[in-house]
Amino acid sequence: MDRSSRPRSRGPAPLVAVAAAAVLTLAGCSSSHGGKKAEEEAANAAAGKADTPRMTVALVTHQAPGDTFWDTVRKGAEAAAAKDNVKLVYSADPNAGNQANLVQNAIDQKVDGIAITLAKPDAMKGVIAGAERAGIPVVGLNSGVSDWKKLGLLEFFGQDESVAGEALGDKLNTTGAKKIICVIQEQGNVGLTQRCDGVKKTFKGTAETLYVNGTDMPSVGSTITAKLKQDSSVDTVVTLGAPFAMTAVQSVGDAGSKAKVATFDLNKELVKAVQNGTIEFAVDQQPWLQGYLAVDALWLYKNNGNYSGGGEQPVLTGPAFVDKSNVDKVAEFAAKGTR
Amino acid sequence: MSMSQQAQPAVDRPPASGPKRTDGRTARRPLPLRLLARPEVGVFLGALAVLVFFLITAPPVRDGSSMANILYQSSTIGIMALPVALLMIGGEFDLSSGVAVISSALTASMISYQLTLNVWTGVIVALVASLAIGAFNGWMVVKTGLPSFLVTLGTFLILQGANLAVTKLVTSNVATDDISDMDGFGQAKKIFASSFDVGGVQVKITVVWWLVFAALATWVLLRTKYGNWIFAVGGNKDSARAVGVPVTFTKISLFMLVGFGAWFVGMHNLFAFNTVQSGEGVGQELIYIAAAVIGGCLLTGGYGSAIGPVFGAFMFGMVQQGIVYAGWNPDWFKAFLGVMLLGAVLINLWVSRAATRR
Amino acid sequence: MTDNPSGTHGAVLKDSAPAEGGPLVELRGAGKSYGNIRALHGVDLQVHAGRVTCVLGDNGAGKSTLIKIISGLHRHTEGDFLVDGRPVRFATPREALDRGIATVYQDLATVPLMPVWRNFFLGSEMTRGPWPVRRLDIARMKATADRELRNMGIALDDLEQPIGTLSGGQRQCVAIARAVYFGARVLILDEPTAALGVKQSGVVLKYIAAARDRGLGVIFITHNPHHAYMVGDHFSVLRLGTLELSADRSEIGLEELTNHMAGGAELAALKHELAQVRGVDVEELPEESDLTAPVATSPEGTP
Repeated sequence: MDRSSRPRSRGPAPLVAVAAAAVLTLAGCSSSHGGKKAEEEAANAAAGKADTPRMTVALVTHQAPGDTFWDTVRKGAEAAAAKDNVKLVYSADPNAGNQANLVQNAIDQKVDGIAITLAKPDAMKGVIAGAERAGIPVVGLNSGVSDWKKLGLLEFFGQDESVAGEALGDKLNTTGAKKIICVIQEQGNVGLTQRCDGVKKTFKGTAETLYVNGTDMPSVGSTITAKLKQDSSVDTVVTLGAPFAMTAVQSVGDAGSKAKVATFDLNKELVKAVQNGTIEFAVDQQPWLQGYLAVDALWLYKNNGNYSGGGEQPVLTGPAFVDKSNVDKVAEFAAKGTR
Repeated sequence: MSMSQQAQPAVDRPPASGPKRTDGRTARRPLPLRLLARPEVGVFLGALAVLVFFLITAPPVRDGSSMANILYQSSTIGIMALPVALLMIGGEFDLSSGVAVISSALTASMISYQLTLNVWTGVIVALVASLAIGAFNGWMVVKTGLPSFLVTLGTFLILQGANLAVTKLVTSNVATDDISDMDGFGQAKKIFASSFDVGGVQVKITVVWWLVFAALATWVLLRTKYGNWIFAVGGNKDSARAVGVPVTFTKISLFMLVGFGAWFVGMHNLFAFNTVQSGEGVGQELIYIAAAVIGGCLLTGGYGSAIGPVFGAFMFGMVQQGIVYAGWNPDWFKAFLGVMLLGAVLINLWVSRAATRR
Repeated sequence: MTDNPSGTHGAVLKDSAPAEGGPLVELRGAGKSYGNIRALHGVDLQVHAGRVTCVLGDNGAGKSTLIKIISGLHRHTEGDFLVDGRPVRFATPREALDRGIATVYQDLATVPLMPVWRNFFLGSEMTRGPWPVRRLDIARMKATADRELRNMGIALDDLEQPIGTLSGGQRQCVAIARAVYFGARVLILDEPTAALGVKQSGVVLKYIAAARDRGLGVIFITHNPHHAYMVGDHFSVLRLGTLELSADRSEIGLEELTNHMAGGAELAALKHELAQVRGVDVEELPEESDLTAPVATSPEGTP
């Protein structure tokens, strides 16, 4: 019995060596298509910068980690901050209690202005009152279109999710859709539910909701496929986020269905898909604009006393439809991740 | 080395044909009962029950392409459930397996896109990275002696954060760029994310890989030294070490195997959807573990099979899609899923109880 | 089940034995300190082929330390440790195993949920075929395990049953048979009868005798002098890390051995003092003069 003849060759070392060698070999062969090089051909135009005194603005959202949408909001806020000589402090937590703590944190830092999202308005009541006592102006963005005034916010920039849904429902009526499914990627999310409810309200055909597991893309794909197989009369799939729209297109193909895909929100892959016609249209709420306007409004308020909507009306940033007719214009901005 | 010696048996006595003594403890149980006691038989019956249930209640399931879709969903869970099951038999957990899938896909995508390289470069770098993550997990667990639950919870959080932060840093977005027009993409897609035609039904290639990996894992587990060691390090680590099993090697390599699985599924995600979102994958690790446990692997290690998790993953995929095919009220989706899984696990439990009862 | 007597994996014991008569394993004044704690000190021990050396002692007497030195888990810090007459220092249990020193621990080093035959070959599996398809030679392993177990007088109907379903005695025997098969010349048994009932203990003692008769040197660690006396050829009693007694079977009886285990020399010294105290029955305690066996000189007493 030879105990020393352990199959050491099965150990990790040779595998790593082979892999490393392969890397070295492949490093020499670069891609002649696409990639970063192609992207870098697009140039950026630099905006001017204000010479007003330096001020600090806190932007506190209910973003869940890794959400593309919020990333665009943040970019808009950063653009405004850069232009207005504002130091932007960004923080986020999807848990309402934690978000309130982050706002309190900003008050303690004695910032010059706070921009917040009102995903759960009641949880924010206390800290908003606190900011008022501290003399810090607060503006709202994105969520909370029906609550911002009640809570005493200065102004609000966003899209009414129900209104956006209703607009999409109307638009679907004009495309001749008869039966749609509305794909919700996070069961129990208020904003997403409002969108689907809005669609159902104005859409004249039949609308059904479908829940998918948003953290697992293959699962999203096969669930949509399954639904399309189960009900072959579905002629339009409505998704509530750009990445899910791209997956829905594949599912339509897999199920052998003829359904069209329409979606809320936008990203640069989606713009391409609208351009080549695989996706019908997208409803954009212009997240970049929300972030930009929120910060810019606080700057204006401090330096010139202006406030949009006179404290009575929200500033609606959406719904803005992106379809074949205007997609080319949107495309160049979307490529930079600003639209 | 007294071990590497003559080719003679130790003792040249004739094989003892001595009295056949049994003391009741070692009596052979009837074959059907012994069969039922196999770890995979309970889950097989559970999966069969679920399948029959949906064949009756959801007519679209009877269609070939629906079955292909269910198998596809099962395969993306199942490919990961296999190494997770082997690791569990080896007595350890990996909570980072869900986000590791996304880490791998992000690595491949960003390396290829940012450096404008052939996508295969990214694929290979991602493989190295995934194996390294696995090796790190294994090394930490073995060297510190901490429960793998804690160590990999740490890795899970690290990877979740790094996925986001690095993607943001490199692409200034939270999702990677579309690589579908780059060199080598078509080739890689053929391997990781293509479909083929079986009698008019489009079957995803992951289903084939899933079954190939399952067959391989079964062979390794039951027919090789390494498989023997997996059972041993999970069943009794100290005893295994005392009789000369390389415990450290076995455990680290098992974690690396999970890394390999994460790489493979990650590549599928990348080449099936062209881009990857950095926030995905969270929570998937529990589904992999659930598939392994439903598949008859003992949470405490030392017991299980590779075929069991195949049925476990199938059951999961079947329930998940079956509810949609049946057209039930989607608000109840998660509740249905839970009830079906619990039911299936109970069947599994009942079978193994019935089998071990004498 | 086919038998395969021409197997290549049978290890050969007797050929590698040293010159007749010399001890296989020998400790000379060996000891071990953990930091400034002296766990073992000045111990002499000899293990001969075909003889059972019993090491007795209470809890904490240093038995475990002694085993750990010989089995290669720890290194001695004083004295000499010789195998086949040459001094050695083992870094790992593997090295000890390679020199034919096998240890059967109290927990038996078996994996309860694995089948008997897999446990038998664990860590030293038989394989066939070239590497990528190198696989376990299951038929040969089962046949060999069955044969080896029967040689030791253990008959199991189903080698596929998990070893955890066997009785404690049976498991102990499988572990001994395994050590014998894999070329052990010296077998260290750590309290093999401690957790067993009377009948099971008897079975295990039978296998210890069987191993001795096959020419192995056995170190039998126990705290039960009755068990030790049934199979032992030489008896060493440890107390507080030093050797209190070292005697051949011819030099000592069971009663005296029991007395040594129960407190031995110290107790005898106490007898006189206790005799002064009314109400303490000292009649049955041994007199110092009764203890005729060669008591090991305490190193502390002889600087």
